[in-house]
Amino acid sequence: MKTLKALIKRNTKLFFKDKGMFFTSLITPVILLVLYATFLGNVYKQSFLSALPQGLDMSEKLINGYVGGQLISSILAVSCVTVAFCSNMLMVQDKAVGSIKDLTISPVKPSHLALSYYFSTLISTLCVCLSATGICLIYIARIGWYLSVGDILLLLLDVFLLVLFGTALSSIINFFLSTQGQISAVGTVISSGYGFISGAYMPISQFSVGLQRVISFLPGTYGTSLLKNHAMRGVFEEMEKTGLSTEVIEAIKNSIDYNLYFFESRVKISTMYIILGLAIAVFISIYILLNCLKSKKQI
Amino acid sequence: MRDIIKITDLNKSFDGVKAVQSLSFRVKEGELFAFLGVNGAGKSTTINILCGQLSCDSGTVIIDGENLQESISQIKTKLGVVFQSSLLDKALTVKDNLESRAALYGITGESFKQRLSQLSKMLDFEDLLKRNVGKLSGGQRRRIDIARALIHNPKILILDEPTTGLDPQTRRLLWNVISNLRKKENMTVFLTTHYMEEAADADYVVILDSGRLIAEGTPLQLKNTYTGDFITLYGTDEATVKTLGVPYEAIREAYKLSVADTSAATELIIKHPEIFRDYEITKGKMDDVFLAVTGKKLTGGTEK
Repeated sequence: MKTLKALIKRNTKLFFKDKGMFFTSLITPVILLVLYATFLGNVYKQSFLSALPQGLDMSEKLINGYVGGQLISSILAVSCVTVAFCSNMLMVQDKAVGSIKDLTISPVKPSHLALSYYFSTLISTLCVCLSATGICLIYIARIGWYLSVGDILLLLLDVFLLVLFGTALSSIINFFLSTQGQISAVGTVISSGYGFISGAYMPISQFSVGLQRVISFLPGTYGTSLLKNHAMRGVFEEMEKTGLSTEVIEAIKNSIDYNLYFFESRVKISTMYIILGLAIAVFISIYILLNCLKSKKQI
Repeated sequence: MRDIIKITDLNKSFDGVKAVQSLSFRVKEGELFAFLGVNGAGKSTTINILCGQLSCDSGTVIIDGENLQESISQIKTKLGVVFQSSLLDKALTVKDNLESRAALYGITGESFKQRLSQLSKMLDFEDLLKRNVGKLSGGQRRRIDIARALIHNPKILILDEPTTGLDPQTRRLLWNVISNLRKKENMTVFLTTHYMEEAADADYVVILDSGRLIAEGTPLQLKNTYTGDFITLYGTDEATVKTLGVPYEAIREAYKLSVADTSAATELIIKHPEIFRDYEITKGKMDDVFLAVTGKKLTGGTEK
């Protein structure tokens, strides 16, 4: 346990001392927020307004709260995974500069080494993503706040689970990488592709049925939907109070993946948590198994 | 002295290229063992197998009575390795580096502090503890590399070209520390080097070429087997030297004669006492041994 603790400490220190790695990770959610607010915010707003029944009076604050909820859930869904990939660079750097050799000539267990990368990435990604959540909440407070304490706590839980998920996913993928070039390439692919396949950049309800079904098998999708459910619950509650019909509200929820469907059946929130939890457990197990198999192969 | 490392019929290939072929040798406990060969001779592959970084295709490696394939974890606690280039974390301080490495061997808290204090005195880096490794000079970093290798009091210290690029003062300091450790703690030192004067001080030398062992013995045995003696003759002229009928080389204010061995030198001197008034006899050097055995010169890692 002391060995694991020392390794986590080493990895975390290296992450925060490497200004390139730290600032790249930190700046990702901030850049996303600026880009979303500047370019996508208006698109979301216009699309929402055009879908509203004519003659319905809705406050600017509520409209902004709706758009803001969509924005922050998308940003956090993408950040939790892309930041994890940035933070987990150390695992590849250790291989690229040879430090891994200095660690593995000792009797350290491969599972300890693997877990040390996992936990240190988890710590640094959490630091960055919780800071990003704070910034997102400030943004929401400025444009239209409809969140309860319960929503915030669940939002934090969602971020925590998505960070666990992103860290596990990045650990498996980074396991196979050994150069800086490879990790840059993978980072680019993940940061541009993950937002689409998780329904963060575009609601998956807008994709073709076949693609929707394929994406419904990816656990990240449920993480994005969880964030949407907790970032926008208050907004929809307020919409009901303004007299918007349940049918219209449900249609909006379906169109933005607030309601998520696996084939024809609607996925419950509790099921989303189970799917995400199982995905995390399976990914961590695969990662540890890969490390143990590699170590056996060496001897 | 018992065998602390026993390698038998070791083989390793990479994509059909045989890096190590039927390699067998023994290292005695407490000795300074030199492992020589040009780049690509198979030294690093053998060291990587010894350290459990690579698997072998066949053969056995016994370290301190334990089979490497069966007791890798126990064996790793007995090995300390100084790599060709420093593998410490450059962004961290010397203390942070040593603390994280010590924890890998279960050395934490007070035991770490005590060991750090011993090593920093021994290797003279007490004033460097709070400095980042990346900001140290080559010599300072090498001292920290050695401290890292010794942090867990290993029985065997593997030095992979430890003094390459170091200034003479640091080289001397390192060899003094290693020599003291061997005396006080009976530590076995497994050395690869491109400096033949370091190999000449070894207790036993193994020379590799193309993955095969091509010569082994004490430096004296190797010199006697693979090189002759040299007589440096002063106070004479080239015409007189020519009359001796032995190969020679003109050097500054003297001639260097090559003879088969010390008895041949003695015979020549007794036969021509009028010529040999001022002279000295020297044995061949390890460079000559290496050249004779491999046909290559070992100079700073490049073969000629």
